[in-house]
Amino acid sequence: MPGKVWVVFRKDLLIELRTKDSLNAMLFFGIVVLVVFNFALESVRDTIREAVPGVLWIAFVFSGTLGLNRMFAAEKENSCLQGLLMVPMDRGIIYLGKMLAATVFMLIAEVVIFVFSLVFFNLTVWAEIPYLVLVFVIGTLGFTTVGTLLSAIAANTRMREVLLPLILFPVVLPILVNAVEATRIILNTANYGALKLPLTILSTFTIIFGTLSYLLFDFVLED
Amino acid sequence: MGTVNTMNYLFAAYTAIWIILAVYLFSIRAREKKLREELDNLRQLIERQPANRR
Amino acid sequence: MDQPKYKHLDAILGGLLLVGMILALYMAFIGAPRERTMGDLQRIFYFHVPSGMMGLAAFAVNFFASLMYLIKKDRKWDSLALSATEVGLMFLTIVLVTGPIWAKPAWFVWWTWSPRLTSSLVLWILYLAYMLVRNYVPDPDRRAVMSAVFGIVAFVDAPIVFFSIRWWRDNHPSAMIETGDLDPLMRPAFYTCIAVFLILLVYLMRRRYFLESARLEAERLERLVDLAR
Repeated sequence: MPGKVWVVFRKDLLIELRTKDSLNAMLFFGIVVLVVFNFALESVRDTIREAVPGVLWIAFVFSGTLGLNRMFAAEKENSCLQGLLMVPMDRGIIYLGKMLAATVFMLIAEVVIFVFSLVFFNLTVWAEIPYLVLVFVIGTLGFTTVGTLLSAIAANTRMREVLLPLILFPVVLPILVNAVEATRIILNTANYGALKLPLTILSTFTIIFGTLSYLLFDFVLED
Repeated sequence: MGTVNTMNYLFAAYTAIWIILAVYLFSIRAREKKLREELDNLRQLIERQPANRR
Repeated sequence: MDQPKYKHLDAILGGLLLVGMILALYMAFIGAPRERTMGDLQRIFYFHVPSGMMGLAAFAVNFFASLMYLIKKDRKWDSLALSATEVGLMFLTIVLVTGPIWAKPAWFVWWTWSPRLTSSLVLWILYLAYMLVRNYVPDPDRRAVMSAVFGIVAFVDAPIVFFSIRWWRDNHPSAMIETGDLDPLMRPAFYTCIAVFLILLVYLMRRRYFLESARLEAERLERLVDLAR
């Protein structure tokens, strides 16, 4: 099975790397969000450091949603999905492959966005990096586990891309709350012990929704 | 927190509950009526076409 | 469409409801004692809390019905899920409207991001999203599948949302604390209202369910008419 997952994963990865359409859009949008927030929060410029974790994750979530939107759009256009479904394999494998690809792209975008935020908000981070990596990875995984499933649902509706944020954002609120809090703990305090709870919730979310989405994906794809 | 003040809010709350309940009930009722008409229409239409029944 | 025995049950439930509502009102306003700190304002709770409980119960029905639909693929479960969600949304709307009305005189703010209120809001949004999904899938069978999947996701998500918010609020304490204890003298009124609201829940869900069945019947007849043309 890992081999099959790898095939699906590699396909999505290669297709995207060839054009980089999605990735470019994700990067651009993420950075634009950072800039927009800078303007929006101008009146609280002195305390803007407090807002950085929230702004960061909003940029991540918006950017990630953009990437998720594209995930099934291309497949529907080229009927590639039909082809994929004809291969005799567990539908859950398609889910895993796409979810992993989406995670990779989102993480790439997050790294770039984060670097920009270091510049924009005048932050210096060195010791914090390993912890940040941990939070980013688990948070992003949590986001894409349920995001991949919901993206497949949205692709089946009349509204397509417009529906995804509407159904995704409420569901991933726990990710937002805990990831922002964990990032805040890392950036604005040095109390790494307090990371245990948010990270636990994030991991639990990821495991629960990873399993659930894997099981439910089959139903959504029947065409 | 005067008694009169509190009573206003209490009244507002229970009124809100009634309004929400009533609106929902009426909405169901209106939809039921519309459906009943539609179903009657459809049944008449089908009766006029005896030959092509499934 | 309306079989005789259903009409009987509807009439019985309706009658029970009428009596029950009057009883509930009596208990809330006269049967229950006046609360010490908040006075009569506290009486909102007798309808506010049962509404919340019934909203939750309705969404639990949705979860169960969504699960059953995915297993059995019988449209009846889809109709039940839809009915439960609509009624649940109505109950949650009551919660979200009466909550701030109570909070304004009690805590001097319309809204607090307290765990229960915030979770109720998120729950309301989640099931509104469920209705959105239903709205935008044209094919009835696909619609049933999509909404069933989303219904399951939403229900699993809800407790995680609540827990996340509660933990976050513990981390950022504020002056707002919600009271949870119940004076034994208030219990009869409270239980009465819960019972009456339960009847209300069942009554509304039944009516909505039969409305949906009728709509499906109309769709079926429409197809027959189209075939005949």
